[in-house]
Amino acid sequence: MTVTEVHIDEMMTPYPDKVRKNRKKHIIIKSAESAACPQIEANTRTIPGIISQRGCAYAGCKGVVIGPIKDMVTITHGPIGCGYYSWGTRRNKARSDDRTPPEKIYTNLCVSTDMQESDIVFGGEKKLAKMIDEVVAIFSPRGINICATCPIGLIGDDMGAVAKEAEERHGIPVIAYNCEGYKGVSQSAGHHIANNNLMERIIGSGTDPRTEEFVIYLLGEYNIGGDGWEIERMLTDIGYTVNCILTGDSSYEEIKDLHFADLNLVQCHRSINYIAEMMKTKYGTPWLKVNFIGVNATIQTLRDMATCFNNPELTRMTEVVIERELARITPALEKFRKICNGKTAFAYVGGSRSHHYQYLLRDLGMEVIVAGYEFAHRDDYEGRDVIPTIKTDADSKNIPELHLTPDEALYQEAHLHLGLSKEQYDTIAAQVPLGDYEGMYPIMRVGRIMVDDVNHYEAEEMIRQLKPDLVFSGVRDKYISHKMGVPSKQLHSYDYSGPYAGFNGAVIFARDVADALVTPAWKLITPPWEEKNGNRSDSDA
Amino acid sequence: MEVMTSDHQVRSVNEDQCQMCMPLGGVIAFKGIEETMVLIHGSQGCSTYMRLSNVEHYHEPVDIASTALNEKQTIHGGEANLRKALDNVIRVYNPSVIGILTTCLTETMGEDLDLMISAYKHDRNLQGVDIIPVPTPSYSASHTEGFWSATRRIIEHYARATAETSGINIIIPHISPADIREIKRIIDLFGIEYTLIPDYSMTMDRPFGGNYQKIPPGGTVPADIARMPGAQATIQFGLTCPEQLSPGEFLRRKYNVPLFSLPLPIGLKNTDRFISVLSELSGRPVPEVLLLERGWLLDGMADAHKYNAEGRPLIYGEPELVYALCTLCAENGATPLVVASGTKTGNLETLLSPILPDACEKTIFLEGTDFAAIDQAVEDQRVNVAVGHSGGRFLTERRGIPVLRIGFPIHDRIGGQRIRSAGYAGTLSFLDRFTNALLEMKYGSYRQHCLEETRGKGGY
Repeated sequence: MTVTEVHIDEMMTPYPDKVRKNRKKHIIIKSAESAACPQIEANTRTIPGIISQRGCAYAGCKGVVIGPIKDMVTITHGPIGCGYYSWGTRRNKARSDDRTPPEKIYTNLCVSTDMQESDIVFGGEKKLAKMIDEVVAIFSPRGINICATCPIGLIGDDMGAVAKEAEERHGIPVIAYNCEGYKGVSQSAGHHIANNNLMERIIGSGTDPRTEEFVIYLLGEYNIGGDGWEIERMLTDIGYTVNCILTGDSSYEEIKDLHFADLNLVQCHRSINYIAEMMKTKYGTPWLKVNFIGVNATIQTLRDMATCFNNPELTRMTEVVIERELARITPALEKFRKICNGKTAFAYVGGSRSHHYQYLLRDLGMEVIVAGYEFAHRDDYEGRDVIPTIKTDADSKNIPELHLTPDEALYQEAHLHLGLSKEQYDTIAAQVPLGDYEGMYPIMRVGRIMVDDVNHYEAEEMIRQLKPDLVFSGVRDKYISHKMGVPSKQLHSYDYSGPYAGFNGAVIFARDVADALVTPAWKLITPPWEEKNGNRSDSDA
Repeated sequence: MEVMTSDHQVRSVNEDQCQMCMPLGGVIAFKGIEETMVLIHGSQGCSTYMRLSNVEHYHEPVDIASTALNEKQTIHGGEANLRKALDNVIRVYNPSVIGILTTCLTETMGEDLDLMISAYKHDRNLQGVDIIPVPTPSYSASHTEGFWSATRRIIEHYARATAETSGINIIIPHISPADIREIKRIIDLFGIEYTLIPDYSMTMDRPFGGNYQKIPPGGTVPADIARMPGAQATIQFGLTCPEQLSPGEFLRRKYNVPLFSLPLPIGLKNTDRFISVLSELSGRPVPEVLLLERGWLLDGMADAHKYNAEGRPLIYGEPELVYALCTLCAENGATPLVVASGTKTGNLETLLSPILPDACEKTIFLEGTDFAAIDQAVEDQRVNVAVGHSGGRFLTERRGIPVLRIGFPIHDRIGGQRIRSAGYAGTLSFLDRFTNALLEMKYGSYRQHCLEETRGKGGY
């Protein structure tokens, strides 16, 4: 069934007029294959009382970007709730390696200042300072992050000053993130705040240049379910030096060397494009938009990477690995493809995944008929070309923009990072998404819907109207879908499965999707006594 | 009995917390009221996080709206957002009740909710929707107090002086929907009319079937809450409930409803007390089926004692449940060696010290604690089995100690909402799980232990 404006209008009938007007701007139905993406409203305030999927700046900063850094202790400065909620919930996996021994890994910790009423009244600076001392005494981490929660900004705790003094006392970096939950309009604000601090405080502080060849950093990969490790496996086989996956399984030790990268890869554009861009400005490091979700997408990305380095051996090995991996996974994938083929899905996740997973689903013969991001900006739908036209509003102005200049000692032109001539670089840049992201729109088919900041109400209505075979979303709306008789897969935490990236990930994903589609329970809804009476109940039960 | 406190108690660091935030408990209480929507007054992250935690435990849709305050409102006040949120919640969800819970943000801002709500009701000429605000800043207490506080506010909102009824009031702490259903089944056996609050047994654990509704049917009916002051008595499972938050205490003081403050009916003696009170209030003998269930429990207790006596339990979580589980373990010969709660106000040490058997070993009580302190106590006390929520899962990874999951939150196992431990039958289910956890360890390692012991004695 194709959707028309009429359906959207019908769905919005219960909304008050102003809300209807607002929400309509967040929904685009693709009209023609060739058409440019119409302007979509995104990254604007959530409507109060409408149940959005969005989280807060703290969630984006601590929960997404900062929390996974494995050798730093991250302190939640605030009352107890926020610490709990961000405790290990994103399943970012971390392991020890030659640079980070097991006793220096703190990802499973949840450390909070547990502020009490008196701290709110008299300020929490002393408690925070004492706590930093204790954390150093107990764990002796390489560095400490402090993430602010809502009340901190209001009571005026100067976290920066406390951090600076602690840094002098202990001789390790202590970084304060002013990511109070109310900042910005979603977790996206927190990503930006985290990016700024990483750029200012950690990246570039390493002093030993990398001597290996083809040094890459994978930015915006959080290693959920081991995605980053699967990507690292392929890249290492081809001949790349994957210096760090940022920030899944990352360490302070690795992040400080980020400026020695030959090429930055950007997986999740939304959460990390700031660092990619800032590094381009400061060090000249080129960045490539990649997508390791999907077999064909992975192959395309690997070839794009080889194109960037323009090295015959790397190009040869790329094809060797692709051929080897395809031969290995195709039979398994085919088995699941038979079950998945022709099925439809919704995808409501994050700021990248609703785009990335469309490639993987197409590999399986499935089509996404409604796709939406929780906290994306216009460029994630329409492509980076629209960035100059995005108006800054009161909310985005509150997040500081760092204005960087080229580093006198370390800046070099992008082509030199890749060992190319300027001409070679320009030719290649026209072929691959170097420093560019086209957004979600091009992959959507005609008549399909893009919806920004979808809320529970709209999600339910669209499930009712369009009856997809599967809903990809987070755990918060997973069971709504189940109650409506439609299976659901979590794309935030992968329902404790994974990896889903790369070649091995594609097979695991295909298996999980096939499992969800054939769940016997969905066929047992109608009891035999009702079947006998000819009353087959609707599965929307 | 000697009481010890761990060194960890004096630290500022809360390392791996054992409690959750105050509005979270309030949400669950409101989910037990018919046709209710919950609105969190604060930044949207709070409601998103609270939905996440509830959904991971209950595996049910849990809609919680937010006033979604931004930086601007932290300066200019949140009233405009609150009004928009109420408009939208009413239009989209059509609730009869809206419970508004405040957050750290709005309490720090000093928002006057009562004033804002009365202005809103006046301006909109609002009919047929009750709005009940509850202050729940996370810095003032944990989810346990949030639950009690919201329950009390709901009763305060509806309760009216009323003609005497023949029924009784049942006020529950935060327990599983399965336990609520078990308690209701037991009361039904006595044929007494009752109002149980908050009854989230059908809203947070909904069977599949029928049309999906945005606000699931079920919950305590406001008209029944209004009549609670006329009840014959209140039974409140709230020994650990602070008096100023106690809903039963409110009904007793304001409306002279006699209050039976009982432990949760988990454990034989605790269930006996509940059954005795029901029998007394109904004037009826204990139904045959309950006598049979008591008999089965006793039979099981006697049979399993030889294993349970080797249990060296840690019991942690929300105070009311911890209290009941401690007495249950103690009456089965497994004296709790570490008793812990992230909540500060449970008064567990005072309540439990006199009644735990004066064994040769000391019990460590940790209240307002974190898992770092619990972990230390577990080592000091050579604990071999833990009873509590998912927060203690590291005990298995790090120390090989089985964690019997019970309470809230349980996000790393399925079925937290279906765990039944109340009544004689529920107690026996729990006890079997407890004993089998010990047996699993025993079978896994007894040959090794025998060997080591023999070697130690110079044999072999």
